[in-house]
Order: sequence, then structure tokens, then C-alpha cells
Amino acid sequence: MKYKVTIFFIIGIFLYIIDIGLNSYDDKEIYISDQEITSLVSAWNSRVGRNPTDDEIYRIINNLIEEEILYREALLLGLDKEDRIIKRRLAQKISFLKEESIPNIPTKDEILKYYNDNTDKYFVDETFTFTHLFYSSENNSEERAENAYKDIIKGFDVNADPFFLGKNFVNKTLININSDFGKNFGDYFQNLTVNEWSEPIESPFGHHLIYVTNKNDGYYPDITMIYKKVEMDLLQDKRDQAVKKFIDEVKTEYKVYINPDLQL
Amino acid sequence: MKHLKKILLLIIGLYVVTLGLVYVDVYDSRPIISLFKKIQTDSALEVVDFSVEKESVDKVKPAPNKDRNPYYGDLHVHTKYSFDAYVFGVTASPDDAYRYAKGEGIKHPLGYEMKLREPLDFYSVTDHGFYMGMIQAYADTSTDISQNEFAEPFHDINRLDNLTVESAGERSNIFSSVLGATIILPYPDWHPKLLRAWRTKNTQLALKSFDYDIHKSAWADIARSANEHNDPGNFTTFIGYEYTTSTDIEGGNLHRNVIFNSSEASIRPFTRIDSTNPEDLWTWQDNLREKGIDTISMPHNSNGSNGQMFEMETFKANAIDVKYAEKRMRNEPIVEITQVKGTSETHPLLSPDDEWADFEIMDVRVGSRPPTYSKPSGSYVREAYLNGLTLEFTRQGNPYKFGLIGSSDTHTGAGAYDENNYWSKVGLLDGDAENRGSVPLADENVERLEEYMRAFNQPVSTVDLKQGTYANTGFTQWGASGLAVAWAEENTRDSIFKAFKRKETFATTGTRLAVRFFAGYDLSSIDLNSDSLVSEAYAKGVTMGADLLHDGTKIPEFIVWAQKDKNGAPLQRVQIVKGWIDSNSGRPEEKVYDVACSDGNEVDPVTNRCPDNGARVNISDCSITDNVGSSELKTLWKDPEFSPNDKSFYYVRVLENPTCRWSTWDAINRGFEPREDLHETIQERAWSSPIWYIPEQTDVDVIPLGGTIQMRNID
Repeated sequence: MKYKVTIFFIIGIFLYIIDIGLNSYDDKEIYISDQEITSLVSAWNSRVGRNPTDDEIYRIINNLIEEEILYREALLLGLDKEDRIIKRRLAQKISFLKEESIPNIPTKDEILKYYNDNTDKYFVDETFTFTHLFYSSENNSEERAENAYKDIIKGFDVNADPFFLGKNFVNKTLININSDFGKNFGDYFQNLTVNEWSEPIESPFGHHLIYVTNKNDGYYPDITMIYKKVEMDLLQDKRDQAVKKFIDEVKTEYKVYINPDLQL
Repeated sequence: MKHLKKILLLIIGLYVVTLGLVYVDVYDSRPIISLFKKIQTDSALEVVDFSVEKESVDKVKPAPNKDRNPYYGDLHVHTKYSFDAYVFGVTASPDDAYRYAKGEGIKHPLGYEMKLREPLDFYSVTDHGFYMGMIQAYADTSTDISQNEFAEPFHDINRLDNLTVESAGERSNIFSSVLGATIILPYPDWHPKLLRAWRTKNTQLALKSFDYDIHKSAWADIARSANEHNDPGNFTTFIGYEYTTSTDIEGGNLHRNVIFNSSEASIRPFTRIDSTNPEDLWTWQDNLREKGIDTISMPHNSNGSNGQMFEMETFKANAIDVKYAEKRMRNEPIVEITQVKGTSETHPLLSPDDEWADFEIMDVRVGSRPPTYSKPSGSYVREAYLNGLTLEFTRQGNPYKFGLIGSSDTHTGAGAYDENNYWSKVGLLDGDAENRGSVPLADENVERLEEYMRAFNQPVSTVDLKQGTYANTGFTQWGASGLAVAWAEENTRDSIFKAFKRKETFATTGTRLAVRFFAGYDLSSIDLNSDSLVSEAYAKGVTMGADLLHDGTKIPEFIVWAQKDKNGAPLQRVQIVKGWIDSNSGRPEEKVYDVACSDGNEVDPVTNRCPDNGARVNISDCSITDNVGSSELKTLWKDPEFSPNDKSFYYVRVLENPTCRWSTWDAINRGFEPREDLHETIQERAWSSPIWYIPEQTDVDVIPLGGTIQMRNID
């Protein structure tokens, strides 16, 4: 028994020596793959607008080499320990790697699924066509608007002030309406009845009675109309998600300690 | 062998002769220029279609409004492609800029978010055409061009860890070296590149410090981005750039922004390297127009031009004539009257009787080192309008009959229009309150600032005041301004561009108040309280930017209607600024009339002023007096001193109640009192384009003693 263990031990040492001999690892050698170079060149091209000249290719590679050398020397000096900039860079790097690992062309099914899960993002806003009676805050708008409302629902004619941006508004989205009449003015439009006068609604300019004659419901466009946009969004989303998913996966493995009594 | 020698000699001889001819052609262009017309091409006139394919969703678009809507935008925005912006630490792309205009937040070089309270309707990225995209290439150490000695200071300047406030000093120095033109390195005269530069009329090719491919690709990216973000009906963009020229001797700023009304544009911008003479820019615009590409150029910062933006003579010091005036007006219908670097309406020395003339004045020449006084006369819009009338009086044509817009000139991609949400414009140099001079400098920063400002050729850079030592580098004269507003039927490129061309525009200091302005002889027949007020006024009169022709001795009537910014302070008053020249002497006169007062107050007929409405600002928290001021002001006005023979112009100025200036907000937000040598409050305002009154032709021949005004080519 003892003999067998010794034999295994000796074989182990023997294998170890062979391994060192065959794979002599030298930390003064730098390997740069073809792929690395072509990807750097194509990134350069998209930034500058043309292919690099021979000199420029030389410098792209040279920059890479010098960076590698400086990096290794810095590691030897232990400069990577407890440096915030380096930590941030490494964090960026892993985010980048996770993003890069995403295949560039999603399948049709994936795109369709993404569209169905995110239809709200592609919703085409509803629009409203309406007219209004305006009472300027320059002239007792609240009371005049109240009185006008009482009259108009009885069917009487009423007078009003001209509004700076006009009387009739055609096919306006809620964003347009809020931009013309002030924040929150669009609230009324969420629950309105078409072809009916509203009670007075206040804006920064005075009071308004609103009469909506037409509402174009918003709708979800057919995917064929926005296929490319969905594809782009999906890719972006995948990139964002890749990092998040990775963090979520490994986060549970960490325990975090923070001094709860720290005074700032 | 013998032949070879001969041929060689012949080639050399031909080359020398050609160079000689080119030399004559370039430096004394008249005698032989036509000789070369056939072999020369103009690269700046090559047109490229930059349009992008976009999917379109079936959307209901807001219907066009025949009474027109006011659309708010900014036509003066720089991104990383501008040589100076890149040096200021800006890495925002044109795409970032357009996203910002549509309401998204983007990052300031110092790391904080810049975001609009409300999206804009239109936007144009207008990077400096001069050296567009080049500095980024200097900073990228892999490019050929970065290997030159001149590019070394730029290496990696905007790498993440180099974006610090501490780097501002070095950045200023690099910036001044660009301004000092040390990076412009021509090849020697014998170099073959010179020939190519000459043959394609592209001087840039003769510069060692220039890479045409990089330049074109930056411009193509700007154009692509504009087309990508253009969304007819909802958001408009313009392909644009800044033509950054100045006078040789005094460094008078003659900067102009150029925008295109198409998704096509020239293959490269026409820049100051092509010519520093704005007349050559207009020739280029004329030539493009012949090819179906319409552009306008818009001068800005006339305030810092040392009197040279609106001179009484041409760039080459010739007399202005009708041809010049028409050419200028054909290409430059509007002028930027307000932006971060101050206002250009008028100056207290030019308009001593105007109580509102001392407003956000920047009194130095643009980019001057050390900061050098800019002469007011010739630098301000109101005086230019008067001088235009005088030039017309002497039958030289009126080259100063332009409309008005505002814009920001931000160099961060994102305009700062709110006093309470302000980051000035030059990135790392003025992105924090200490460096802008609104709060005292921390002790350790005083010396640093003084040291780098000395190196930046500014001997005095700090001032000791009550609360400590402040930066005093000129940024205190800058402000949160401004916006361009177009009255257009709909939010499309064409509709808004047409508004610029008819000058139906107004400028604001960043506020979104709005103003309508009409003139006619029968406007008093319109009921001001009727819904048809606007359509009737369009039918019976003319609006801002237009001419009102004489009608016998009838007195013109004006309708002004202003509405406050829904998120801003109430209106205080509406004024009409009138300028005219005496029909006998040509003597210029000006007068400011209050025409509508807030809170139902009446204008005093003797002083032409509204009474004080009592609006005040509480400086400790910037709150303003409640329930004072108006949400809208509307009036019909008749000129009480009208003379039917006087050439005149009328424009509207709308004033809000006072509010805190950005420097006050900066101070109180950081627990300081406002700096005592700055205005604590401002009155946000709007200026309309003028309406010109054209009297019956009564021009006299003006012949000075001892000579003639030489340029008398009428018709």
C-alpha cells in the first residue's frame, strides 16, 4: 500500500516536469490573434470613415502591444490592488464582454416574442380633435366660465375670449395638449365623453370649456411596419439584460457588509 | 536616354509653369482665372443625398394650422465634432444632442444629467465647419494625423480619467493654441498636394494638419443624424454647421450658422479655410441654390464683433451697393439676437434713453485673448436696422433688413435655457458654479485658476468680494439663453424653413412666451375679442418680418398679442420699439413705446411708460410676487408720431416680471448670497422681427462735397 502511494507520487512529479518542459510558459511573450486585429481595424473604420493606412494599422497594433506590456508591468508592481479606476474599468470590461456575447441577428421568433412582450412601447398615441371656449385669467375667468357652462348645457349661446393658440385643435396627442395648455391639462382627456361640453378646466392662462368631437384611438401597429425598429430594440435590450442577468446570477453568492452606524 | 532627359526637363518645366500660373491665380485672381475654369472643380458644390431609410408607422398627424403655430427650437448647437467642444471635454454626439432636444437626459462632461423641462419642436446641430471632426482624430493616437507634433497635446484628452475640473487649465491653453492657429500647417509651396487643393478648390487639402476623409465622415455623421431624427409633424431637424470667420486685423467676430432645407447637402461645409469673406459664403449659397439646395446663414454674436458685423462698408472695405444688399438679404434673412454669450439688441451707449438696454451685455470680442473690449457701434441689431435705412436713403440698398431669432450656442450638445437649471456652455471650463464665478472659489482653487489663466493670456482672473475670492474670467457675462421661434403652419422642415425665409420669427431669452404682431391700415375694424382676430389680421395686414407699403397719408395700426410662458413668470409689459430716419436729412431716431401694461394698468401718454406693477423678487429664495402680472396682453396701437415720408421699422419687445438670474440661483442653491457686482434678477423677454414701413419713393441724390458716393447702381 505504502509502495503504491510512493509510485503515484513519483509519477505525479514526473508528469509535472514533463508539463513544464512542454508548455514552457514565458510571461515576456505576447500573442495577438488575427481576430483581435481585424476587429480593431473595423472599429477604427467605423469611427474614422475609411480603412486605416499601413502606418495606422501598425500603430493600432503597436498601441495594443504597448498597452499589454504596460499592463503586465503594472500587474508585477501590484498596481491593480484597491484602485477605483481600475475596478471601474474592469467592471466596464465585463459588462462589455457580456454585451458582446450576444449574437447579432436575433431570430424571427425572438423578435416576434419581444414585440408581443413590449407592445406598449410601440403604441401609437391616441389623438383628439376638439374645440374650446376660453375665459382669460385677465378677466375673472373662473366665474365667467362657470356661468358659461351653466348656459351652454341649457343650449344658450355663450360668449368667450379668443385663445392665443386658436379655437379648434385637430388630431392632437396628449403630449401636444399638455404642451399647448400646460401640465395636467390632458387629464380631462383620459375620461371624456365625445360631443359633450366639459366643466371649466383651469390652465395657466384661464379657464376652458372643452368639446371633443373626435377621438382617434391609439393602436398597436402591425409588426411588419416596425420590424427593424423592434429588432434594434431587442438587441439593445439583450445587451442591457445580459449584464443585469449576470449580476443577478452571481449577486446571491456575495455577502455585503456595511457599517450601519456610519455618519456622513 | 537623351529623350528621357528632355521629357524629364519638360515635366519639371511644365510643373514650375503651372505652379507659377496657379500662384498668380490664387493671389491675384483676375487675369487668368477663366483659363482654369475647365480643369477646376468646386468640391464644396458637390451635392450628396444624406437621407436615411426609415420605417413609417401610420400616425395621425396634427393638422396644419393656417393661422400658424409658434414652434420653439435652437439653431446653434455644438457637439464633439467642434474643435473647441472636444477640447472642452465634450463627447456628446449629434445623436445625443437630438435625443436631448426630444426630452431625454444626456450627460454633461462633469457627469451630471442635463435634461429639458419640456421637449423642443426643432433643433439643429451646427458644429464648426472649420476643422470639423479633426480634434477627435488628433486625440485618437492610432491615426496618422495624431503622429504629428502639433497633435500631441490632444492625445487622449477626453479619456474617462482625463475628464476633470482640474484639467480645465490645460484645456484652455490647448484651446488658445487652436485659436492662435498653430495647428494650421500648410505644405510647402512646391508640394503636389497644393495642386490638388487648387484643382478642387479645397484649400484644406494643402494642410498637413488636415485629413479630408475624417472631415467628410464627421460631416456625414452630422447629416445622417439630422435626417435620422427628423420626424415630420412632431420634431424637425436641419442639417447645419457654423461658418466661423472673423476679420483679420481686429479679430471681429463674423460667425454665421448655415442650415439646409433638405436631406441633401454639400459633401463638405464651406469654411473659413475656403474664404474668410462672408460674401464668398453667400456666393456658395447662391450656387447651391441653383442646384436646388436651399440654405440660409444666420449671423450671431454681433455683440462681440467689435463693430464689424453690421458695418457701413463691405468686408473688403468697399462701399455697400444694392447688389451687395440684395445678396446679403437673399442668404441671411435672420440674425441671432440672443444666446449664452449675451444679447445683441442694443447697448446702453447706443440707446441711452432705453431703460432696458443694459440687459445681459457681453462687452468683449468673441474669443479674444486677453479679453478685449468690443466696440458697440456696428455690433447691435437696432443700430443696424437704422443704418440699413440710412444706406437705403443714400441708395445703397438695405443689407440689414433681417428678422430675429435666439439660440443657445451650447458646446455640450444641450442648450441651457433655464436660469434655475444652468450649465453655461463650454463643458469642463464653466460646468460648475465656482468656475463660472457665481460662488467664491475654494482656497486651493484660487491659485490654480490664476496660474492657468495667466498661461491663457488673461492676467486678471479673480476678484475679491464680500464673500471671498471669485473667478472673474468672463463667464459671469454669459447667461441662460435663448430660443428661436417660428410661426409655421406645421412642424415640418419645409414649413419652418419658410417661416425663417419670410422672417416670421421671434427670439426669446429661453422663456416660451409667444407674441403675434400685425400692421395694417384697417386693423381697428377687427374685434380684439373675436375668435377670428388672427385670421382677419392676416387678411387685412402684414405680420412680423414683412413690409407695410405706404397708403397715402394713412397712419398704420398695429395689433400686438402676447401670451406668457405657461411655466414662466407673468408678463409685465409689451413695448413697440420704433426706429426711423428723417426723410430730409437721413438722421436716425429711435423710441421705445410701452403699448400694453399688465394688471389693467394704462400707459402714461406723456412718458409712454406703464406704471410699476409692483412685481418683486425675494432674493433669499427667488420667489416672486403672487398675483401680479398678466397671462396675456393684447392691444391695438397707433403710432402717435407717425410721419408718412419717414422710412421706419417697428418691432415688439415683450417683458416678463423680474425673476432670479442664474448667478443668483447658483449662489442660493449652494448657501451663498448672490455676488454683489452682478445683476441679481433679470427680465426674460422676447423680440419680434420688425415690420418695415415703406414710404413713397422720395430718395434724394446724396452727393458729398468733394466726391460722390460711388456705388449708385439703382434698380
